[in-house]
Amino acid sequence: MHDGSGRIAVQNLSKQFGAVNAVQNLSFTVEPGSVTGFLGPNGAGKTTTLRMLLGLVTPTNGTATINGRPHDQLGNPARVVGSVLENEGFHPGRTARNHLRVYSAAIGMPDQRVDEVLGLVGLSSAADRKAGGFSLGMRQRLALATALLGNPQVLVLDEPTNGLDPEGILWLRNFLRAYAREGRTVLVSSHLLNEVEQTIDQVVIISQGMTRYNGSLDQLRKSNQSRVLVQSADASGLVSALQEAGITQVSPMPDGRVAVSGATVQQIGDVSAKASIAVYGMQEETADLERMFFQLTQGQYAAPPPGFQQGPPPGYQGPPPGYQGPPPGYQGPPPGYAPQNTPPPGFAPPQQFQQQGQQPQQPQYQQAPPQQQAQQQGQNEGWGGQG
Amino acid sequence: MGNLIKAEFRKTLTLKAWWALMIPAVVFAFAFALFWGMVTNDFSDFLGRSDTRELTEALGISTGELPVGLLALGHGINIGTMIPIIFGVFALAGEYTKKTITTTFLTAPNRVSALSAKMITYIAWGAIYGVIIVAAASLGTVITVDSQRLPTAGQWLGVLGAGVLATILATLFGIGVGAVWRSVVGSIITLTIWMLVVENVLVFVMFGAADITWLGGVLPNGTVNGIVGAIGAEAFGAAGVKVPGLQDETAWALQYAAGAPGAFSWWASALIFFGWTMIFFLAGWAVNQKKDIT
Repeated sequence: MHDGSGRIAVQNLSKQFGAVNAVQNLSFTVEPGSVTGFLGPNGAGKTTTLRMLLGLVTPTNGTATINGRPHDQLGNPARVVGSVLENEGFHPGRTARNHLRVYSAAIGMPDQRVDEVLGLVGLSSAADRKAGGFSLGMRQRLALATALLGNPQVLVLDEPTNGLDPEGILWLRNFLRAYAREGRTVLVSSHLLNEVEQTIDQVVIISQGMTRYNGSLDQLRKSNQSRVLVQSADASGLVSALQEAGITQVSPMPDGRVAVSGATVQQIGDVSAKASIAVYGMQEETADLERMFFQLTQGQYAAPPPGFQQGPPPGYQGPPPGYQGPPPGYQGPPPGYAPQNTPPPGFAPPQQFQQQGQQPQQPQYQQAPPQQQAQQQGQNEGWGGQG
Repeated sequence: MGNLIKAEFRKTLTLKAWWALMIPAVVFAFAFALFWGMVTNDFSDFLGRSDTRELTEALGISTGELPVGLLALGHGINIGTMIPIIFGVFALAGEYTKKTITTTFLTAPNRVSALSAKMITYIAWGAIYGVIIVAAASLGTVITVDSQRLPTAGQWLGVLGAGVLATILATLFGIGVGAVWRSVVGSIITLTIWMLVVENVLVFVMFGAADITWLGGVLPNGTVNGIVGAIGAEAFGAAGVKVPGLQDETAWALQYAAGAPGAFSWWASALIFFGWTMIFFLAGWAVNQKKDIT
């Protein structure tokens, strides 16, 4: 029987669907007592991984265990792990209460548990309505109620915020954090970091079916260093001058500027003055978590926009702690993402950057489409000369 | 396992299909028995005077004593059996269509137990349908068939047993086809057309064109019908035991009148249909044991 640890362990997990490698040699563990985010772009293999963990999909290779056991050896699995998968699993003609009564019977829970979980997710008043008439948000709540029926030690949720309004997201966030505080395990997947950023403590980032980062969110946050973008008369001259001065984290950018990390604006100004290289503008850029996420996952998409440099973004200082290797086959950002180092045409220095920087904890409810996000991100980086 | 069976019953009872399908089962079984009872009550008109004499002489009874009620029962039950097949399709294919299969597998210890619970539950449902269908067909029969031509109590019990066996197997057959195909609509349409049209045409054409009398005795519809139908055919000496002097064509016509053209005997039909059921059921089981639920 299972060890009761509440630990999720994924080891060398791979899944091939025909010619498609949905998941490749994925490994990570999820510990109890915290909410772990499982992040990656759409199509990164998140859902397939979760379904392998839940015994719905058979792995091609490797293992996915909960409490040291694969799903079909957990005994009464729904008493160990509850799951919310992408809004499915309800017969439209069955009422919410009857749906729960079916599965409470299957896992041997008393019928009163049905009313408890309906209350927990705030569906008591809709209990006798048919699930077919539920909104997306209500279906998500019903899915969560189903997951909670067995009072499980482990919760696995696949994109649970889909269809939830801001209030619902906030409610879910508090619920999951409270659940984890009881020493239980919560694994929640999302394709948007900012949607779960306030919820999670740990994060597993995957892209193209491989682990890109596995560690604490704080560590990932700390690993982001600021950099200075320098517009100068002689980019290559500036690079060598900086390197001679011992500032080695320097890389030229496609637009002719130089990205410098590990040095202040003053230091760079001194070096350029000494080397007699005119500087037309300098600008400090603080990398945020979202950009980090993009950098870790953007290898997913194959076709770069014309002129976009192949390879890691300039000024990128190497992997954060816990980063499991460079994204192989990294080819550029997804179509529709503006290259991160090129300002949008006609862009004026925005005010939002300061505000954002001062209020990093402000919850972001809105789910912006990728393009919009990339632009917001560009704005956050604060383009525009300072010198 | 008890929990899962309870869950399966709740699954069915919280939806309408089980009683909604009961309506056509009762109506068809009753109406067909009523009609065939009416047609066969005056048996000599139905079969022709010389054939009837040939038969009654061979059986050593008078025309008025032929248990034609069995023929009415057979037809009523046979048409009714179509409904448990459709009901069975919903068992697994319905879960795939509505995607409830995900939750079903997530809440069961493993797939073997989930599928076993389903099988046991649907055997019970098949039996319930069987009793209802036999009752409806019996009602249609007693209304139209003269009392001296009704089957004996023993024959009736035999029909009840065979009817329940047929509907149980029919339900499992439906589950199997649905499990292999995982489409409710596709399975139901194909099964209905095959069972009610294609196979009957095939059996007729092969009999008419090539004198092949046994085809109905081996195909799915013929064999499931033969379980009950052959009891009637046997009572007329047209299946199981061979009445000396009875021509092949007459025997086939009698089998047809009983709803079981080509049937060898009730138990042979049962065995062969059990084989058909197992082919689909085991194939469906194998598919679902490994199938990725994506």
